[in-house]
This record gives sequence, C-alpha cells and structure tokens, in this order.
Amino acid sequence: MNVVDALRGDRAARPLANTTSAAGLRAQLEDGIYAILGKQNPTAPLVVRASSLRDVPPATDLSSSALGRLRGVLLTQLLRLHCVGERIDHAFDEAVEAWRGDGGTNDLLGRLEQMDNDERARLATDVDAHCVTMTRALGPLSSHWMPRSAVRASQRLAAGNVVLRDVVDLMIGTNAAGRSSVVLLDVTTSPLGESAERAMRYHALVETLRTSVAPWRTSAFSTATGDLWALDVDHELLARSADEVLGVIHDLWNAQ
Amino acid sequence: MTTLTHRRNTSRQLNELIITSPLEPVTLTDDHRLSLASRFRAVAGTEHRRLDAWAVEQAGRPSTPFHWSPATARRVLGNASLRRVTHEPTRSITNAVREELDDQLLRAASGRTRAGSLASWLARAPHPVLAVVSAEAVNWTTQVLEVARGLDDPFEVPASDAYYDVATARTTLRGRRELVVARDNTRIIVRVRSGAPGKSAGPGLRADLIIDALAHHDGLASSRIIGLWPEAGVALSVDGTMADLRAGARDLVRTAVVQRRARLAVAA
Repeated sequence: MNVVDALRGDRAARPLANTTSAAGLRAQLEDGIYAILGKQNPTAPLVVRASSLRDVPPATDLSSSALGRLRGVLLTQLLRLHCVGERIDHAFDEAVEAWRGDGGTNDLLGRLEQMDNDERARLATDVDAHCVTMTRALGPLSSHWMPRSAVRASQRLAAGNVVLRDVVDLMIGTNAAGRSSVVLLDVTTSPLGESAERAMRYHALVETLRTSVAPWRTSAFSTATGDLWALDVDHELLARSADEVLGVIHDLWNAQ
Repeated sequence: MTTLTHRRNTSRQLNELIITSPLEPVTLTDDHRLSLASRFRAVAGTEHRRLDAWAVEQAGRPSTPFHWSPATARRVLGNASLRRVTHEPTRSITNAVREELDDQLLRAASGRTRAGSLASWLARAPHPVLAVVSAEAVNWTTQVLEVARGLDDPFEVPASDAYYDVATARTTLRGRRELVVARDNTRIIVRVRSGAPGKSAGPGLRADLIIDALAHHDGLASSRIIGLWPEAGVALSVDGTMADLRAGARDLVRTAVVQRRARLAVAA
C-alpha cells in the first residue's frame, strides 16, 4: 500500500464534513490577536507561514541551509510533475527547468546558478535520491482523487494586520461530497520532528479558515527517512494550532 | 448608491447570494451606449485601447509587459478544461487539461496560431514547464468545479469572456466570467480570482458587470456579479443596479483618461 492509499483510507469510515469549527477558530484568533496587539497597528502586516512554526536552523550553517532550501524547492517542483502524471527521467534537470518556467528569477535561483560543478553534482544526486523515495512512496496518483499541488491560501485577520499564508504541497479529495474527504500532504526533505507536526496542524487550520470546512486528514512525508505522519483533523487539533499561531504572532509583534 | 456585499466563500453563502439577487434586471438602451461611446471618443488616443477589470483595479497604472507563464496560462486552459468536464462529467480533470493542452499544441503545429499566442508559447516550452502548466490548470479547474458543483441553480460555462467594441472610439472592453447561473429571467455571473481581494475589488467587479451588459445583445445586465477569491475564502458581490453600472462605466472612462495621461507624460 502506498502513501496516498494509506491516507485515503476506507471511504465508508470517513466522518461527515466539519462545517462548524471555522467560525469559532476565527473568533479565537481575532480575540487572541486583539489581546496581543490591542488597538495598535503594526507598521506592516504580521505574516505567519508554516515555516514560522518550524524550528529555527542554526545560524552558522548558512550554506547548508540554502542547499536545503534549494533541495526542498526542487522536490516541490518534482511533486508537481508527478501529480499530473509526468514521467520523471532526469529529476534534477527537469526540476530546475520547471522551476525556471514557473517562478522566473529569485535569490535562490541565483544561488543555484553560482554553484560550481561539484556542488551542483552533489545537489543533483541528492535531489535524485529524494525524488526516487517520493515517487515510489506516493505511487501513481489517480486523477479521480482530484490531486492538486502547491495549493495556496491567504487569510487576513485583525483587519488585515495579520496575514496567515500557506502553500500545501499536495491536496487530494473534495469538499463537495458532504463527507470529510480532503487530505493534506506536506512533503519535506528533512526528517520529521515536532515542528513538522506544528506545520501539519497549521495546514489544517488555514484550510479550515479558507474553505470553512475542516479537512479530514493532515499529513507529512519525509523523503529523507521515508516516514509518514498523519493526523485526523478534529476541533482540538485546530484550536491547538490557533494557539500556536497566536504564539508566533506574539513573537513577531515583540520583535517589531 | 452602489452595492458591495462581503461573504465567506462557501456553497451555502454562494447559493444565498444567488437566491437574494435582484429580480428585476436593468437594461442598457442605445442612449446609454451612445453616451459611453462619446465619452471614450473624447479621450483621444493613437493606439487601440483595451480595458478590463484589471486595468480599473490598477487605476490605469501601466502594468509590466505581459508574458506567458504557468500562472498566466492557468485560467485560459483551466476554463477550457472546465467546459470539457461539464460536457462529459465522467472525464477526469487531469485528462481534460491534457486534452486541452494537446489541442493547443496541435493548433501550433498546424501553423494556425499567431506569434505570442498561448499555443505558440506552449509549443516552445520544455516538457517540465508544460507539466507545471498542467498542474496550475488542474488546480484552477478543480476550484471552479468545486464552486459549480455546490450551486443549486443550473449554470453554464461561457464559451468566452464578454467583449464589447466601443463604436468609433478604438476601444475594446473585456469582461471576465467563469460561470453564468440562470435563475428565472435573470442571470448571475460568477468570477473566480487568484489571491486576496484588494480595496479596488468592488470597482473591478463593477467593470466586469457593465462590460457583460454591454456585450449582451439586448443590453440586459446580470442581476448580480459574484467575485470569488478561493485562496482567501472570500466572496464579494455587486448588484446589477443602474447605479453600479454607471459607476462601472465611469471607472472604465477614468482608466482610459489615466492611461492617456501616462502615455502623454512618456511622450513628453
């Protein structure tokens, strides 16, 4: 059984869609933000992302951090190709080409251009290995599961003073069925840890706020270890994530 | 007085917006068309003008030159795929997008496309970029289809956007629309947008509303236009009242004026 089969589980066991939690979560966040900001307005909106909830990488290891980010970005591109059934023969080259075509230029792409041949070859080998793990674990994605990749979300709170931004790597299932059937999958090239769990909860929270329907499951898959973590989404999980988001907002506000 | 309603983007709220839309649609007469044409003619220009809701939202500021990318191609391919899926519901979204992409490539191969068109860009794009284009189009089609399947009233996916050439004013207006919902004698337009709505989202919807009415053979305005921003989970709507139509027309003319001033400044 592959990762997606495991996540989709038994169709008959799926609960009814949770359409009641979103309003309460929004109120919890709005009240919490008011308790932090009061009547003051930040100079620029406080932006929360899934990465805001992850562990801070060691500041001394800057080059490997950039390499890690490059690897992550390239793997995300490969996931997009896999999602539409594209056969991947030369993972690194195809990922770079897709990235260039998708996003234009940015600092990280500039870092890739500056790499010498050895660095580039190391990264290419690394990306190839992660891609093999990912494609074997995910297996073919049936188009009837409505897979979509890099699904963006943006939620404004506190009159636009706080913005929750998110990109879900892979989403399957639909909200239109009446039953809870949406599964969120975060694919990471790092080993899974406590911060991956926070990111999983964050994805579920933002998806709930975006659609007003809670997803069924939120999950994370590590291409470094092949581990898959999955959590069934309930109100407690979402409320916990809302608390974690408020903690991030508190830190961001104090840093201003 | 103009209207603007803010709701969450859920099936229930969307159906409520459709049910509560005004029952008496407004009709634009020949006098309205002549009046608009004379205003556009007064804003003289050397080039052919193309105006849409985006130009209104940007207040006529010059935008960066257009180029095709997976993000700019997703709506065209996504809506065409949506038409395929709605005509044949057993067809999967991924297959519909693939077929649409194949059609575009075939058109380019047959030499029937102009330079700079989507088909010619796709024909030159490498395979991985085509796959990202497919992925973006699948995302677009899925989100619009989810909206459409939640509708209680019958809907159709229009064959194209609404276009209106303003007589002797060298001006083409383009109104975008994803779904047209039929209800009694009226129709409601649904637009799907990327990102989050800005402060000018209302004027943008009014521009689409008036262009759609002008493009209608009898000048019949839709009773409501609903803008959906699925990424932000927001639905905004504007009623098809005469005040909203007038405001939409005014914004289009103002945009033309701002664009002309910007061109004159560059020329000076």
